[in-house]
Amino acid sequence: MGIKIEDLTVTFRNHVTAVNHANLEIPKGMFGLLGENGAGKTTLMRVLTTVLSPTSGTVTLDGILYSEKNFEKIRKKIGYLPQEIDLYPSLSVQECLEYMGDLSGIPRQIYRERIDHYLEKTNLSEQRRKKMKQLSGGMKRRVGLIQALLNDPEFLIVDEPTTGLDPEERIRIRNLLVDFSEGRTVLFSTHVVEDLAATCNQLAVMKKGKFLYSGNMKKLLEQARGHIWIYKTKEEGTTRELGKKYHVSSKQYVGDELRMKIISETPPQVECSPCEATLEDAYIYIANREV
Amino acid sequence: MRREMKISLTFQKQAYAVFFALVLSLVRGVAYSNEIGIALEAPMAILAFTFCADTYTQEIVSRRSEIWRLCPGKKRIYFIYRRIVIQGIFLLTVAVVSYGLFFLFQDPITYGIRQNGSESEICQFFVYLAAVAVTIGFWGILSNLISCLFRNMWVGIGGCMVPWLITNSIFGNRIFGAWNLFSYSFRNLEDSSDFSWIYGKVVCICIGIAALAALPEIIRRRG
Repeated sequence: MGIKIEDLTVTFRNHVTAVNHANLEIPKGMFGLLGENGAGKTTLMRVLTTVLSPTSGTVTLDGILYSEKNFEKIRKKIGYLPQEIDLYPSLSVQECLEYMGDLSGIPRQIYRERIDHYLEKTNLSEQRRKKMKQLSGGMKRRVGLIQALLNDPEFLIVDEPTTGLDPEERIRIRNLLVDFSEGRTVLFSTHVVEDLAATCNQLAVMKKGKFLYSGNMKKLLEQARGHIWIYKTKEEGTTRELGKKYHVSSKQYVGDELRMKIISETPPQVECSPCEATLEDAYIYIANREV
Repeated sequence: MRREMKISLTFQKQAYAVFFALVLSLVRGVAYSNEIGIALEAPMAILAFTFCADTYTQEIVSRRSEIWRLCPGKKRIYFIYRRIVIQGIFLLTVAVVSYGLFFLFQDPITYGIRQNGSESEICQFFVYLAAVAVTIGFWGILSNLISCLFRNMWVGIGGCMVPWLITNSIFGNRIFGAWNLFSYSFRNLEDSSDFSWIYGKVVCICIGIAALAALPEIIRRRG
């Protein structure tokens, strides 16, 4: 069943509309959420975790309507890793997770087994006696993710889970999330397009409170096909001018030649050749195209 | 319980509470031992509302409140109550130690009480203990409640400062009399058999119970 968002609007007291008549269906499995800063991703996630009540519109989780009387039922199904969280600095990793387990009302035997399992999976077993304040940013992030997984949620919401992780750890966490998503829904919000490309088949792109795209990743790439161009030059002056005129998704020196990826609806007015779109290119294209 | 102690009794909090008691017992002059309670009650109230203001708001500041929201309501309230009790016990210990420190640093006169014959030193101490326990509990609960209501510990502290200033004054004593929140401090020292100050403490207990009862709803709406 998954999550269904219909005509959702969130307007704050200062009249800023963070989510504007948004419609989205999030099926089971991994679902990516992409968008620039201030696009409304975190507001949307706060609505989905019942922290924030929408101004209008409806949200359902497995057919259960988000309403005051259903919140207790819905909350039991949710695991959440916020973008910024400072877990109890004076507690050790083990103590902190046990505390969160107690708070969630999970039987001790069960949460202890889960803590052992996830500490192993996130490569933190050796750090379990370390105090939270002694951990690096990446380690704290992993502990945060474990606390979100502790109640074995049916709907997991993770906001930038890979921030501060080294490449190896990022892959480990991504794989953990993919394994976890079997038969459940994982909403994965990130700025790291590479992480989404490696984990999600379905995604949504958000801008200014609206969804610019939602659906299959393949179709998103298809939409961008024919609008990505590669330009090779040895003159830097031209690239500067092109940068002002078009969206440039990458610049790379290969020997003494500069290769530049240009995103444009129409062929740029320089000699260039079309090339395959990556998810990053497709995101830039979707986010900046004229509607 | 040990985890809760580590969370609500951090080293910094313990340090400033002990330092506060130490400085108070050094600078606040008392001549007679029955003045110690008066010297301690109002400052202990300040310590209590400062100390307990972050009982829950630390979850908001550290952005853990969004995770707390997903936990069962009864559990959340139970954990907050547990923190209040732990902090209260710690502050009561500080109050007891402070009482001893006054004896240690200021060597107050005790014979005046013995001449009266109606109150022993130990009895006087237990009366102080009961009064200060209510004071600590009341101000701690109140500051946590206001902090939770406004999601800000500083509002909790400021919100307690106002009634503290009003009730801990001649004006407050004139208006409220025996029903004053600081009735113990304003009691008649010459008459140790006068227990009318208990009315003030009953007011504290009643408001404290009402605040504890209101807390679940405030946490549900504002937590």
